[in-house]
Amino acid sequence: MDFLAPFIEVYTPEHFKFLLEGFGVTLKVAAISIVLSFIIGGLIGTLRYARIPVVSQLLAVIVETIRNLPLLLIIFFTYFALPEIGIEMEITTAAIAALTVFESAMLSEIIRSGLNSIEKGQIEAGRASGLNYIQTLRYIILPQALRRMVPPIVSQFISLLKDTSLAVVIALPDLLHNGQIIYAQKGSYVIPVFVIVALMYFIVNYALSLVARRLELKQS
Amino acid sequence: MIVFNQVNKFYGDFQVLKDINLTIKQGEVVVVIGPSGSGKSTLLRCINHLETISDGTLTVNGISVGDKKTDINKLRRNIGMVFQHFYLYPHKTVLENITLAPMKALGQSEKEAKETARLYLDKVGILDKAESYPSQLSGGQQQRVAIARGLAMKPEIMLFDEPTSALDPEMIGEVLDVMKTLAREGMTMVVVTHEMGFAREVADRIVFMDAGKILEEAVPAEFYENPREERARLFLSRILNH
Repeated sequence: MDFLAPFIEVYTPEHFKFLLEGFGVTLKVAAISIVLSFIIGGLIGTLRYARIPVVSQLLAVIVETIRNLPLLLIIFFTYFALPEIGIEMEITTAAIAALTVFESAMLSEIIRSGLNSIEKGQIEAGRASGLNYIQTLRYIILPQALRRMVPPIVSQFISLLKDTSLAVVIALPDLLHNGQIIYAQKGSYVIPVFVIVALMYFIVNYALSLVARRLELKQS
Repeated sequence: MIVFNQVNKFYGDFQVLKDINLTIKQGEVVVVIGPSGSGKSTLLRCINHLETISDGTLTVNGISVGDKKTDINKLRRNIGMVFQHFYLYPHKTVLENITLAPMKALGQSEKEAKETARLYLDKVGILDKAESYPSQLSGGQQQRVAIARGLAMKPEIMLFDEPTSALDPEMIGEVLDVMKTLAREGMTMVVVTHEMGFAREVADRIVFMDAGKILEEAVPAEFYENPREERARLFLSRILNH
């Protein structure tokens, strides 16, 4: 019973409310970053796929650079280095910006390889029927590629949601951050807080992967 | 209608098409035969600019195909194409496969496009499959859908790139029958095929290619009875006596 005592002690309505506030920040940052990085990553992935001279090469350099840097470094850079050149952002904005930059690069690669996986004959069939390149992409290639890309895209979204916790280093008041504040009060709070924090992350991410599985089944 | 004038094409140092001169008239059915790698598919694919030519001129209805000023999408609307591997859109139903280009490239209404699509599906004998997905059809049925898809744009020219080569033998007949009907109705057709029976029966002219060159052009009777070129004789003896 000694082991359970801190659980009972720490699970107060105030603490729950505080954790949920943090979780709200986590979800907000993740949701905005997901939407932004899906748009930007989709655009970059498509532009690279289209092999537009100069543009595609330039994007390749940028994407490769970002993909090969640790996310933590990008978060630090956004919050601590950018103000040095006059770009200042508040914590939440900085976290969203850093996550969006990183995840856009990751997503663009998923989208590019998904587009590449569609056989060239599909493009030829579309073009031969008089559709222009954009129409062929939009009505023939993208819809097919997107179906194939659902599982890797969702798993990237799950990574993103978990990666928001890295923003504790710039003191983003997210779930993990608020958890830390609670257990800082008393050593015995650590395990009960971690349990509840882990549960919250798990439930949302697991729900996401269930959605992905549903979508996958629907296709086949 | 289609005029190749001294057309050459290179892939790097390799010459795929050599000094091609060929004129195809309206309503003519031209069958291109030859060993694999002889450039016959490339020749066909140049007509709708899926391949570019390196030099010479190629015109369709007097319009230069490779010219930068040519609206290639407009030109292509007038040229239907059927591929060896069908290339139906797997995420769309049979009907949607056929209505896509008429709606998006010609701006037809959905109603109009569907009516036309049903008309051609009926023509190729698979109206009952309108709501199916390509994966639910046999190869022969898929290829007939592909033909209907080409026809729905009401093109003046139809190109066929080995349309029966990927089919099980028992399905070849149903596709060839559709093509024969088209030929009889006066469609201008350029067909790359190994189906000698079809060529003999339907073609107005046989074009024999080898190593990127047109070696012989003749009416079928003449070509099959008495090919002028030694290479053509050898090819025929191999393909007919197997």
